[in-house]
Amino acid sequence: MGYYIGVDGGGTFTDAAAMDDEGRLFYAKAATTRDDFAMGMFDALAALAEECGVEVSELIASTNRFSLGTTVGTNLLVERLGARTGLLATAGHGDSILMMRGSGRTAGLEPELFFHPQITDKPEPLVPRFLIREIDERMDCLGQEVAPLNVEQVERAVRSLVEEHQVEAIAIAFLWSFKNPAHEQQALEIVRRVAPDVYASCSHQVSPRMGEYERTVATVINSYVAPASAAYFRRAADKLHDSGLDHPLLIMQVSGGVLPAAKAVEVPLTALGSGPVGGLIGSLAMSRQLGHANVIATDMGGTSFEVGLIINGEPLVADENVVDQRRYKLLQLQTTSIACGGGSLARIDPHSGSIRVGPESAGAQPGPVCYRRGGTEPTVTDADVVLGLLSSESFLGGRMPLDRDAAVRAIAALGDQVGLGVEETAAGILRINNARAAELIRQQTVVRGYDPRDFMVYAYGGAGPLHAFAYAHELGVKGVVIPLGNGASTLSAYGCSTSNLVLNFEREELFFAPFELDRLNRALGELEEEARAAMFDMRAGGDEVEIDRFCLMRYRGQWLHNLVMRIPRGHLGTEDIAGVVDDFRSSYDTLYGHGAGVVSQGVELFSIRVRAIVRLRRPTQAMEQQFGKPVADQARLGSRDIFWPDRMERLESRLFDGSRLHYGNRIKGPAVVELPYTSIAVGMDQVLECDAFGNFALNFEHTPGASPVVGTQSSTLTTG
Amino acid sequence: METAQNVVWDGIVRGYAPPDVLDIDPSLTLQTAEAAEVDPITYEVIRNSLQNINLEHGSTIQKLSISPITMIVRDFQCAILTEVGDVMFLGPYLLYLGNTLGLTTKWILENRSASPGIEDGDVFLSTDPYVGSSHQQDTGLTSPVFWGSELFCWVSNSVHYSDIGGPVPGSFCLMSQDIWQDPPCFPPMKLAEGGKVRADMEDLFLRQSRLRDTVGMDLHAALAGLSVARGRILKLIERYGAETVKAVMKRTLDAGERAFQEKLDMIPDGRWSERVYTEASVPGDPGIYVSQINITKEGDTLYIDNEGSSPQVGSINNTYAGLVGATLAPLTIMLAYDLGGVSGGVSRRVKFRPVPGTITCCDYPGAVSAAGVFNMPMVVATATGAVAKMVACADPPLREKAIAMADAQAYGGWIFSGLNQYGQFFVGMSAGMAAGAIPASPGRDGVDTGGLFWVPGMEAANVEENELAWPVLTLYRRENSAGAAGAGMYRSGVGAEEAWVLHGTDHLDSQIYMNESFVKNQGLLGGNPGGRAFHRLKQQTDAAAQLAAGTVPQGLDQVSGDEVPLFYKGMPAVLDPTSMWTTNLPNFAGYGDPLDRDIAAIQIDLTDGKLSTKDALKVYGAVVNEAGQVDVDRTAEQRAMCRRERLAAATVGVSHA
Repeated sequence: MGYYIGVDGGGTFTDAAAMDDEGRLFYAKAATTRDDFAMGMFDALAALAEECGVEVSELIASTNRFSLGTTVGTNLLVERLGARTGLLATAGHGDSILMMRGSGRTAGLEPELFFHPQITDKPEPLVPRFLIREIDERMDCLGQEVAPLNVEQVERAVRSLVEEHQVEAIAIAFLWSFKNPAHEQQALEIVRRVAPDVYASCSHQVSPRMGEYERTVATVINSYVAPASAAYFRRAADKLHDSGLDHPLLIMQVSGGVLPAAKAVEVPLTALGSGPVGGLIGSLAMSRQLGHANVIATDMGGTSFEVGLIINGEPLVADENVVDQRRYKLLQLQTTSIACGGGSLARIDPHSGSIRVGPESAGAQPGPVCYRRGGTEPTVTDADVVLGLLSSESFLGGRMPLDRDAAVRAIAALGDQVGLGVEETAAGILRINNARAAELIRQQTVVRGYDPRDFMVYAYGGAGPLHAFAYAHELGVKGVVIPLGNGASTLSAYGCSTSNLVLNFEREELFFAPFELDRLNRALGELEEEARAAMFDMRAGGDEVEIDRFCLMRYRGQWLHNLVMRIPRGHLGTEDIAGVVDDFRSSYDTLYGHGAGVVSQGVELFSIRVRAIVRLRRPTQAMEQQFGKPVADQARLGSRDIFWPDRMERLESRLFDGSRLHYGNRIKGPAVVELPYTSIAVGMDQVLECDAFGNFALNFEHTPGASPVVGTQSSTLTTG
Repeated sequence: METAQNVVWDGIVRGYAPPDVLDIDPSLTLQTAEAAEVDPITYEVIRNSLQNINLEHGSTIQKLSISPITMIVRDFQCAILTEVGDVMFLGPYLLYLGNTLGLTTKWILENRSASPGIEDGDVFLSTDPYVGSSHQQDTGLTSPVFWGSELFCWVSNSVHYSDIGGPVPGSFCLMSQDIWQDPPCFPPMKLAEGGKVRADMEDLFLRQSRLRDTVGMDLHAALAGLSVARGRILKLIERYGAETVKAVMKRTLDAGERAFQEKLDMIPDGRWSERVYTEASVPGDPGIYVSQINITKEGDTLYIDNEGSSPQVGSINNTYAGLVGATLAPLTIMLAYDLGGVSGGVSRRVKFRPVPGTITCCDYPGAVSAAGVFNMPMVVATATGAVAKMVACADPPLREKAIAMADAQAYGGWIFSGLNQYGQFFVGMSAGMAAGAIPASPGRDGVDTGGLFWVPGMEAANVEENELAWPVLTLYRRENSAGAAGAGMYRSGVGAEEAWVLHGTDHLDSQIYMNESFVKNQGLLGGNPGGRAFHRLKQQTDAAAQLAAGTVPQGLDQVSGDEVPLFYKGMPAVLDPTSMWTTNLPNFAGYGDPLDRDIAAIQIDLTDGKLSTKDALKVYGAVVNEAGQVDVDRTAEQRAMCRRERLAAATVGVSHA
């Protein structure tokens, strides 16, 4: 029997998922070991082997593909444990990374903090001033050399950084290098010659985009995390090889694909933050099986709520990211996060006499009051326990009994201050939390011109399946899927195991309409060649490489806005490009209202992208053949009184054991289905159905009159 | 001097100051009914939605506009207002524009409700600073949101448009002696009717501009922002009912007022003043003028006046709208920092007693188009000084929220025009110095290049973005050092400096540049003042030859050539291929006596290369040994000596009152 394994090393748990040759899925979890991630990985593999019914050595030896997602880079960055890194910058621009464009104090923070300068500050620089070296050289906006590179200066700078300051990594980021990389390449050669053991990366390779600040950040972070990330990838690969793995270890990327570890070490930035992407890719794989073209993938955990979108079968791509108040540009699957989860704190706003939920969080320590770890302020999870949505006895399969009485006391004390009873208060906390979650989804969909009513919500993560019944209903979506049901809490690992080889190539080059077709065709052709050659280097090539081509367009001068448009395959003619411009104008109007664009304003194309994919074979997921009867008596655990926040009443609700549900089972709300790491709440007028792939679908019977809070742009202004 | 009692604040001969009860034509029905009870949960859900609606309004403008000044520097503001034009939520953008939206909307209610009438789907456009904008370029759009036949609320924005006409590219008319030498001034007119933009009105506005297409795109971005906000508010009303949403709006304002009141309770009664001097009312004028703001705190109310300000003159004026906006900006940051942009409740506790006919509150036909780069930052700085002194007298912890004075110089503003490298005419407003700095507070240092607190979301453009748009090369952009300027027990964040040469053209005109003759940001309670903003220009330099030979010049003193004397509010300067010029945004003000600065903090700046050994001794009395370490004992002696010298040199002050 052969296996296809995905492992996702998260902050708290390391998850593992496997599919065997017959398409059967298995899941396991183990605690993450922070000092040596490989230990947690092997613990998870041991648990996974047990699920598969084989020895761990046999499991690994018979694995056909092994994909690993990891937060190691993010941890290095947040805990400031990366390499001692030096920076080579253009003369006169070494301060760019320190100045942070003046917005480093607030980048990525909640807008409310913008009004409060005393509690905001810039993050500690990753490269302190004394490790920044300015080099005489200059290119202009056309990529033409204005001042030659001073090679002696580079050599002196590198020697000083390496010999006097013992840097372990170097970042090279010169102005306009994405237009003409010659100076960066020359400088890189000098680094390689003078200090062959020091990791070095260039901005034109890591993030070939306009904007020296963001490009420098990308390059510095890349160099900062590179030595330790590479060591980690190699250690994991070696250990797996020693344990009998006969294939190259694949590393999950934010592009949504995987790369062999040997390739991934070249630019480790592309693996940074790939955790949430794993869940999105897992949702994508599942949505293709289920035929859902439009999906809102939602992952609610202890502290955060992450949202990703699949539109017409394709995950949405973003090109900007903020980590630790540092902003950089990198092609990645779009996931947006707010501080909204089980640990979000509920507090009184004394001036309005109302309750606020989040963004502050109790985190894992001290955690919710009911965790008995010293938390005193009530959280969303405490509200879940008070209402009865979460059982105090069967949390984490009964391994962690919760202190319901303490949760009741904390929530009652909060309610007293605003004149609400304990259940009303707990229900209110959930309503506010769900409204915040729905607001984020709304911002991600309606603002982009999409109507949530055309979408399915996929809910996973520790708190997603428990709260989706409310936030999804709030949006008026078609329905909810808890992907893989019992496997919903390990969806990221599953996503890793289903990923393909993906490489993105990008070139920023400005074309004004009407575009010079020869130059555009040539640029696209070169980029395609580059992509095919890179795939070939990974011994994944030939005819299997699928090439997709895109461009970024905007109205002339709109630096902060762009739309990604698909470019047809092959040699482009006048009509092809006219079609792309038409698509741009009509998409723009759809997004921002008819007449938002000015017809006389020229359109420009400023970046082209090529995505190369090699699809990796895997077995078709096995389906449960037997369609069972709708009644789910075999999984019935009894009943519990639950106070439902959407109904504001206490109802006797049925309880089920998710692991014993089968294809065809139907559960009508009010009910709760308990899973090993989460629970699914099924509200009144909702029905949970189990499909043949092990997914649970939560369907709503939309009540007339309960109009959803969102809508499309029904009231835009028109011109003329 | 005239007093506030015998003049008409009508928005025509004098800035518009709305009465407590507006005179609205009875044909217009306002939705005023509120639900008696809104449970705390529904309240929070609706409040959160309203706040997000306003943020979405702002991000729409930011994304779709094409002027760097709007999309990057965030020189705009948007708001949701009650049916009578009280500002409810502001966005994290240019704060002083917030209240101007309220004034314009109230004026429209009083002056447009009878004719041409206020109806569903209307959008009013106004550029009139006497009605309610800070200068003509900050053009306001305001749109009523109707529920049924009743006016429920307003959505509104003010955006800085790059050129709205007048004699000078960019429309900052430094030479103006009166409003007729300024760009045109349009009192509120209907840009859109029944949801449709009126082509005649749109053309009337755009026809004035040298940059019709750019301004047109920005105008459409502003319209799209209104559409987004309006559409979402209607959905909210559909779901929860007009009376419930209205109750939440009113309660949010009440809560804001209570929160502000609590802060006022921590401040003793008293009167605090700040005075800032400025030079030149028009280019060539050697005069010195005064901007003064006084705050009187009596019980639960703040009274603001501008007594002591110079009589209005030349082009250095702002209207009542500017005075109110500039004062509310620092009040919002120091006393309403926890309200997430709810400003309407604050306004209820702040009363204005303006002295008209002054540069800080001018009468028609005073020229105001240059206010955006001169008066507004200056009056914000003046008001910041007064507010900071008052807050620094408060009980802890409020005392620590005081922020010393910042940026009387409009973030090192530099406005220039000419043909770019693509042969097209452009007007550039450099945003390089928008990196700003946060001044010192009684409790912590400011933040180096930490942005401007009164434009919270602002950021500097990348050098590459500038060089793509304009025919220039930025030779350097670097942080200032932390010497005497802005020193204190807690020091200000440092500002920055930029230097340029032409590239891809052989001629540009500098319209506006900041070259002050003296420092304007006074230190707070013993702190050092900030630095002096300067703009230096050298002609006939060898910068190009140095570049070609492989050296990027890193200072004006490193190139040959002749320095051209520049003045604050000088005549336009001509730039040619031999020119090299720099702009410096100075460090802002410090807090407390520099001799009280913690030695560890001095050591950090020394190690970081931000402070020289010489300045450490001269400014902070810190003696640094050969190893670069502050010598604690010798520093104590040095500081004691400095104090003795100060006492010896001290004289008893003479009051000129």
